[in-house]
Amino acid sequence: MTNSMFLNNLLLTIIWVLATGTLTEENFIFGFLISFGILYIITINKEERKYFTILPKLISFIMFMSWEILKANLVTVKESLYAKSKLEPAVIKVPLTVESDIGITILATMVSVTPGTLVMDISDDKKVMYVHVMHVRSKKEFVDEVKNKFEKRLLEILR
Amino acid sequence: MSLQEYFHFIIIPILGLSVILVFIRFVKGPSLADRVIALDMLILISICIIAVYSIMFNQSTFLDIAMLFALIAFLSTTAYAFYLEKRERK
Amino acid sequence: MRDIIIMISSTIGVLFIFSTSLAMLRKPDVYLRISVTSKASTLGVGLILLATAIFFNEYSVTTRVIAVILFVFLTVPIGSHMLARAAYFTKTPIWGGTKIDDLAGQYDPETHELHSENRNSSIKPEKTDKAS
Repeated sequence: MTNSMFLNNLLLTIIWVLATGTLTEENFIFGFLISFGILYIITINKEERKYFTILPKLISFIMFMSWEILKANLVTVKESLYAKSKLEPAVIKVPLTVESDIGITILATMVSVTPGTLVMDISDDKKVMYVHVMHVRSKKEFVDEVKNKFEKRLLEILR
Repeated sequence: MSLQEYFHFIIIPILGLSVILVFIRFVKGPSLADRVIALDMLILISICIIAVYSIMFNQSTFLDIAMLFALIAFLSTTAYAFYLEKRERK
Repeated sequence: MRDIIIMISSTIGVLFIFSTSLAMLRKPDVYLRISVTSKASTLGVGLILLATAIFFNEYSVTTRVIAVILFVFLTVPIGSHMLARAAYFTKTPIWGGTKIDDLAGQYDPETHELHSENRNSSIKPEKTDKAS
């Protein structure tokens, strides 16, 4: 259902671009927004409305990831000037709730780009992930952070 | 100060210094994994150098080589990691 | 105006790359070095390529730049994961300051299978105190 809605949206966008006759990025994005609004109004009484909740979530997810990447870089700049005694590395076992392969891949990439963490391996039965962390206060705190910050957002999109 | 001069006198020296720092790790590295990750980093820095040179000489064709390097960096790292693991199993 | 944007973007990118190479020389063991390399380098490369895209301001260059950035962002986490795993198999020494090591003894030495529950196999890197 989500896929066909996306195709409808794209089709309306192409019609808008052909009708106005100017092929530029701004016009394309404007047409996409207009057809998104039209589809929102048309399907306001239908039950299948997943498409309209998933697109804003996807955009906010991408924004969140860019912010995390920026933060990771700033932390690394700070790290490179630290003395060695301040480091507290650890390898921590994190249980997984995500089950599908694609979900695990996205989660591992997300954890790898956030500050100070590196996914070392995922167990063969896909239940547990081993993460190398640069600064760790307590084991439980880190597991909670991964669960609440990344996995919850990911599950909202995949569902 | 023109753009070309700025790149020539500030950006390229810093990149060269970081190449030297990574190369010290490449020579010194106690294990093979150290050397592989240093090689990976060298390729990433060389992508940056190619991009900067393409601005300095106003030649957009250089970016094709940068794209090729980005692919080869991944291939070489993966192949080395695979080889390390297989060698241990023997 | 465009020159100033190019200068700022490339300077920040170069500083990220310089800090990464400095960190690579100073970190005490392999795993920390891999972890550092997979982060700062991506944004550094991204910013310098962005400067190139702004300088040329053409479609063909912009698409190439986006392709390079996508390759780097997608492949660097995978490569670092594979390398960290291989380093663990070859028993590369881990730094003595490591607080917890849950991975120790979890790999099967024959089949290289990774188990999720506790067990005691021989794959366990020794700890070193000296910085190398």
